[in-house]
Amino acid sequence: MHILIFGLVNSVILALLASGFALVYGVSRLANFAHGALYILVGFSTWLFLNRVGINYIGSIVLSILIVSIIGGAIYRFLLIRVKGMPDSEIIASLSIGIAIMELFRWRGFISEAYMLPPFIKGSVNLLGVMIDWQRLLIIGVGLAIMVSLWLFTHHTKVGLSLRAIAQDKHASMMSGIEPDRTAVIALAMGSALAGISAVVILPLGNITVETGYMVLINAIAVCIVGGLGSWAGVFAGALLLGFSQILATALLGPHWQMVVVLLFIIITLIIKPSGLLGRQKELEERV
Amino acid sequence: MKVKALRMNYGLRLFLVSILLILIGVCFLTQGGALAQPIVLGVPISRGYPDGVDAERGITLAVEEINAKGGVNVAGKMRPLKLEISDTRDLEPGVPVAEALVAVERLIIEKKANFIIGGPIRSEAALAAMDVLSKHKTVSILSAGVLSPAYHKRIAENYDKYKYCFRTTGSVIPMIGGAVNTFESIRAKKGFDKVFIMVQDVAHARAAGTSLKEGLEKKGWKVLGYEVYPTGTTDFSVGLSKAKEGQAQYLIPWFDMPEVSILMKQWYDMKVPALPIGYIHALQDEGTWKATEGKVAYSVVLYAKAGSVATKAIPLSEGFVAAHKKKYGMEPRSEWTSTSYTVVYILKDAIERAKAVDPEAIISALEKTDLMGTYGRVRFDHKSHQIIENGDPKETAVGMWAQWIDGKRVIVFPNKIATRSLELPPWMK
Repeated sequence: MHILIFGLVNSVILALLASGFALVYGVSRLANFAHGALYILVGFSTWLFLNRVGINYIGSIVLSILIVSIIGGAIYRFLLIRVKGMPDSEIIASLSIGIAIMELFRWRGFISEAYMLPPFIKGSVNLLGVMIDWQRLLIIGVGLAIMVSLWLFTHHTKVGLSLRAIAQDKHASMMSGIEPDRTAVIALAMGSALAGISAVVILPLGNITVETGYMVLINAIAVCIVGGLGSWAGVFAGALLLGFSQILATALLGPHWQMVVVLLFIIITLIIKPSGLLGRQKELEERV
Repeated sequence: MKVKALRMNYGLRLFLVSILLILIGVCFLTQGGALAQPIVLGVPISRGYPDGVDAERGITLAVEEINAKGGVNVAGKMRPLKLEISDTRDLEPGVPVAEALVAVERLIIEKKANFIIGGPIRSEAALAAMDVLSKHKTVSILSAGVLSPAYHKRIAENYDKYKYCFRTTGSVIPMIGGAVNTFESIRAKKGFDKVFIMVQDVAHARAAGTSLKEGLEKKGWKVLGYEVYPTGTTDFSVGLSKAKEGQAQYLIPWFDMPEVSILMKQWYDMKVPALPIGYIHALQDEGTWKATEGKVAYSVVLYAKAGSVATKAIPLSEGFVAAHKKKYGMEPRSEWTSTSYTVVYILKDAIERAKAVDPEAIISALEKTDLMGTYGRVRFDHKSHQIIENGDPKETAVGMWAQWIDGKRVIVFPNKIATRSLELPPWMK
């Protein structure tokens, strides 16, 4: 039961970490390597608003997510747009922005172990014989709510439908009057907001460090590779596979195997099905 | 005619003023040249990590104090200390040893460091740096991190090559000896004997974990589990469940990574009825209580060296903590602030006794070191250049065990410096 509960928590955490990255790639075909940096940006800014400016917790969170959405949109509008269509340059540019943001925090002295966010709900509960804190249960709830909301948004709103249209056929969408750059700005802003929401629900489990940004990026990429880029179901499937594998590996083989299984799944995926479990990218080429 | 004379007079005056200005400049420059040449202290540390910042604060505080009193007396001439700090980044996951070595060599070659103090902090990097120090015949005193027993073992085995290396942080071997004694003392008082060990996957922690496991098993303790976690682990639920199911009474974590705070929060939330007692570096910070909203209550934290929590048993620790609070607005965050503060005074003492800064004279003087520091009496073993430590600050250097009680860190072991006895949480009584 312990493996089931904590495996689910671990999987939802991975899905949350990857959701913003997958959204941006799915819509704009842009791998946002600044994703991890935007995650810790929300963590540190929420901490600052809460502890230095004196804004209440909810206000700090809303303000931080709003700011990171604007920054995300601005990253595309003013920087990435200039290297659009050049995948190598896009990766280098977004990674550089990410490193700059993360190392800025390190440079400004955000390196104490005392940077922590409070949990939304304090205390623990006995769930089927396993003691678990409310914050982890909240993560499961938020993760599922985000997945459902995103599905509803992309299937039942005009903006969401335009995002899907661009992802499916850029040229046909443009002929229908959808502006790709505007859509990409929206995708980056939404992806950044998702990174921010993940940060505020996951970071209270531990502390905020610069290194967290790098780990978030690695985990997001791992989930997307295994699950398949451009597929929501793939993200969730990849997260479940990796999340449960990590917990099982820890329980059966030892904690130091938890990263080994992730790398193992990445290698196996790239050998057997490079597009990922449910990915649609290059699926046709693979068949050919 | 009179006007012309005045003009000449004016020109003459201008000339004389110019000469005067040049003379003043020459005098100033001569004076500058006569200023005592500073003693350059190279400090290779990981500046982007709390340990590095803590060490830098201790060193800076001591250097400022010494320079405020005129500097170091080298054969009757007062010479100021000059700090050259270089970022080694060796605390990053993956431990980039090559970068640390470049930082050390750069300090010696480019910055002309007379001595290297502080780091590198990670054992892997410090062990690799020993050859660089030996090649350049530069005396080094480690004062942050590096708890691996391999460091002093290497010096003892090849003294002529590695005699330039000294270490004040200590090794896990005496730390483990002290830890086993501490556990024995607790068992005698409280009667519990089941432990679960969780360590970080880095050299010093693995060495500590295996030594502790062997030491406790020899004394008849039941070690229910021994798990090694990669640096950066963010979930400890499986290990904690095993500890809980096995009915462990003590949880022994040995971690220096910041993510250990997740372990402590999970321990609290999962209500694991085992008392955490170990090297939980992130919990040394006085801000931990507030940041975790008191979830660290009753945890017992080992400090490799005392001094960062003031105790009357070591008078210098009180002055040091007060000075640190005055300068940085907080109490020292970790043991490395105390060790790094004292290391500057150890070096000053050695230079003044050697009456020189050349390596051979300093090595000889350091081997004869006998002074009181913020963590007790400082002396080095002549063969291994390892600081001598035990449980009495009047005789040797001492580490300490501090317990989080009511938002404060109180020293509970060793008995010679303890300010309160160990308190068990309500669920263990």
